[in-house]
Amino acid sequence: MPAVIVGLAIVFGSINPNFWSATNLANVSRQMSILALLSLGQTFAILSGGIDLSVGSLLALVSVVCAQQMKAYGLVAGMAAGVLVGGLAGLVNGVIIAKGRVPPFIATLGMLVAARGAALTLSGGLPIAGLPREFLVLGAGYIGPFPIPTVIAAVAFVLAHVILSRTRFGRYVYAMGSNEEAAVLSGINVGGYKMLVYVASGLFAGVAGVILTARVISGQPTLGEVQELYSIAAVVIGGGRISGGVGGIGTTLMGVLILGILGNGLNLVQVSSYIQNIVIGAIIVGAVYIDLARERRR
Amino acid sequence: MNERMRTRGALVALAAVVMLGCGRGTQPSQEAAPGVTPGASAPAATAAAVTDYPRPAKPSKQYRIGISIPHLSNPHYVGQAYGYIDEAQNLGAHVTLLEAGGYEHLDKQISQIEDLVASKVDAIILAAISGPGTIGAVENAVAAGIPVINVNVMTDSDKVVTRIRSDDDVIGRMQADFMGERLKGAGNVVMLRGAPGTSWAEIRGNAFKQQMAAKYPSVKILGEQYSQSTPTDGLRLMEDFLQTFPQISGVYNGADSTAVGAAQAVKSAGKAGSVVMTATDFQLDTEKFIREGVISASVLQQPVTMGRWGVRAAISYLEKKPVPPVMFTALMTATKDNLDRLDLSAVRAPAGWTPPVR
Repeated sequence: MPAVIVGLAIVFGSINPNFWSATNLANVSRQMSILALLSLGQTFAILSGGIDLSVGSLLALVSVVCAQQMKAYGLVAGMAAGVLVGGLAGLVNGVIIAKGRVPPFIATLGMLVAARGAALTLSGGLPIAGLPREFLVLGAGYIGPFPIPTVIAAVAFVLAHVILSRTRFGRYVYAMGSNEEAAVLSGINVGGYKMLVYVASGLFAGVAGVILTARVISGQPTLGEVQELYSIAAVVIGGGRISGGVGGIGTTLMGVLILGILGNGLNLVQVSSYIQNIVIGAIIVGAVYIDLARERRR
Repeated sequence: MNERMRTRGALVALAAVVMLGCGRGTQPSQEAAPGVTPGASAPAATAAAVTDYPRPAKPSKQYRIGISIPHLSNPHYVGQAYGYIDEAQNLGAHVTLLEAGGYEHLDKQISQIEDLVASKVDAIILAAISGPGTIGAVENAVAAGIPVINVNVMTDSDKVVTRIRSDDDVIGRMQADFMGERLKGAGNVVMLRGAPGTSWAEIRGNAFKQQMAAKYPSVKILGEQYSQSTPTDGLRLMEDFLQTFPQISGVYNGADSTAVGAAQAVKSAGKAGSVVMTATDFQLDTEKFIREGVISASVLQQPVTMGRWGVRAAISYLEKKPVPPVMFTALMTATKDNLDRLDLSAVRAPAGWTPPVR
C-alpha cells in the first residue's frame, strides 16, 4: 500500500511538477484533514463490527450549530458547541445501537437522514454568514509550515492510535469486532464500549465539522454529502476489514492518503472530474480485492 | 447576507433597464481596445454597470486560466463553458475548467480553487456555489497573487477584480411584472427560489417579492421554498404546493431547472395554462413547455456572453489594462409569441458542442 502511494506521487509529480510544491503539499494535506478525521471515527465504528453512516450529515449539523452559537456567544463557544453536538449525536447513535439493539447500519442511517433534516431546520435551509474573520485562521492558517487542519488531524491520528493500541477500550474494540459473542462471554461490557465507539466517531465528526465551517467561514446545511461513503472507503482501501476486527489507524491513514492524493493529483494532471470518479470507484474495489486475494494466498 | 450586492444591484438597475427590450445583447466586437466605459472606476454609488465589453487585443503570452463553476448538468452552464472555451481560443489562452457537481458540493469547489492556486494558473474565474462560503478560498487565491474574476454567481468576498452577471434584480422584477399583468393584478403565487445561499436565488426572489408588493398588492405569495436547482426538486416541491394550496394561480422560478420539474407537476394536475408560470433561462424542456403553454414566460440570460466577458476580463487584467468593476450581460423575455424569433447564439452553446470537463 505505501508503495502505491509513493508510485502515485511520483507519477503525478512527473506530469505536473507543481504537485511537489510546498503550496500543493500543504494544500493536499489540508484538503485531506476533513476526510481523515471522519475516517478515524469510522475506523472505530468498523473495527468494532459496526459502521457509522451518519458522519457526512453530522458535518452539516455541526456546521450549522457551530455557526449559530458562534454568532450568539462568540468564537470559542461556537467551536465547543460544534464538537459537542457531534459527540451528542454520536451518543444518540450509541444508545440506540447498544440499548435499543438496532443494527448500526440502520441506526446511523436514521441519523444520516435526521441530522441533515436538523441542519436544514435549524438554518431554514440557508447558509449562516457573518462569522468572525479570525475564525478563518482555523481553516486557512499555518503552524510553521503546516496547515492548522493538518496539525489537528495529525494529533487526532496519534491520539486515536494510542487509544486503539494502548488502552483497554482499544483492545475491546478489536475484541468486539472479531467476535462479539466471545467478547460478551469474556465479561466485556460490550454495550458500554459500543456507546463509547459512536461517541468517539461523533466527536471526530464534530472536530471535522468545525474545521470545515472555518474553511467555508459560514454555517452550511448542505455540507458533507456522501462523505460517509468516502470515510468507509478510506478505512477499507487501506486494508481494514468491513466486518470488523482487522485494521487500525495505520491502514486508515493509507486509505486517506490514497484518496487524498488521487483527488488532488488527478486535478493537477487535468483528468476530467467525471473520469476521476470512475478511477476512485475502481480503486476502492480493486484495493479490497487485492487485499483479500493476498489473504487467501497466505 | 447579500446586502452589498443587492444595494449595488439596485443602484445600477437603471442602466440595465435601458438594455431591456433591446432583445439580443451586443455581438462580440473585434475592436482591439478593452471596453472600459468612462466612470467605470468611479465609486459604486455613481458607477453604472458596463453593458458592452468588446474583446481585447490578443496578448503575446499564452495565459493559463482556471475556471470553477457549480456544475455542468444544465444548458446554462454548458453555454457558459462554451463562452469561456471559445473566447480563450480567440485570445490564445489555455483553460482548465472544473465543475463541482452541484450546488451542494461547496467543499469540492473550495478544494478545486485551492488546486488551481497550487497549479499556479495566471487567473481564476469563479461562479460561486455560495456567497459567504467562498470568501476564504477567494482571499487565499488573491493572497497567492492570483486574480479572481467573479462570473454569474457572486462570492461575498470583495477582493475580486470584477463581477460579471445578469442584473438579477431586474430578472426578479421582470417576472413579477409579467405575472402581475397576466393575473390582472390578483392571484395566489408560490415561489421556487432555487439553490440556497446563491446570489441569484436571493436577489431574484427578493426583487420578485418587492415588485409584487409594490405594484400588484392583491397578488398574494402563499409560500416559498429553496431547493437544489434540479427538475426533480422542482417536481417534488410543486406537487406538494399543489396539494397544500389548490388555489395556486402563479408559480415563480428562480431558475428553469426547477421550472421544468414544476411544469410537469402543473401539467399532471391538469392545470396547464390556468397557472401562470415564469422562469429564468432556456433549456430545451423550457422551450418545449413554453410552446405547450405550460410555462408562460422565461427571462433569458446570456451565459455564453458571461463566459466570453469572464475570459476578456481575465486577460485584460493580466495585460494590466483597466477592468470595469461591474458588468451586466443583456436579458430578454421568451414567450409563446416570440419563441421562433429569438437569437439564441449567446444563450446556448452550438448544438452538439460538449464541454471538455476537467
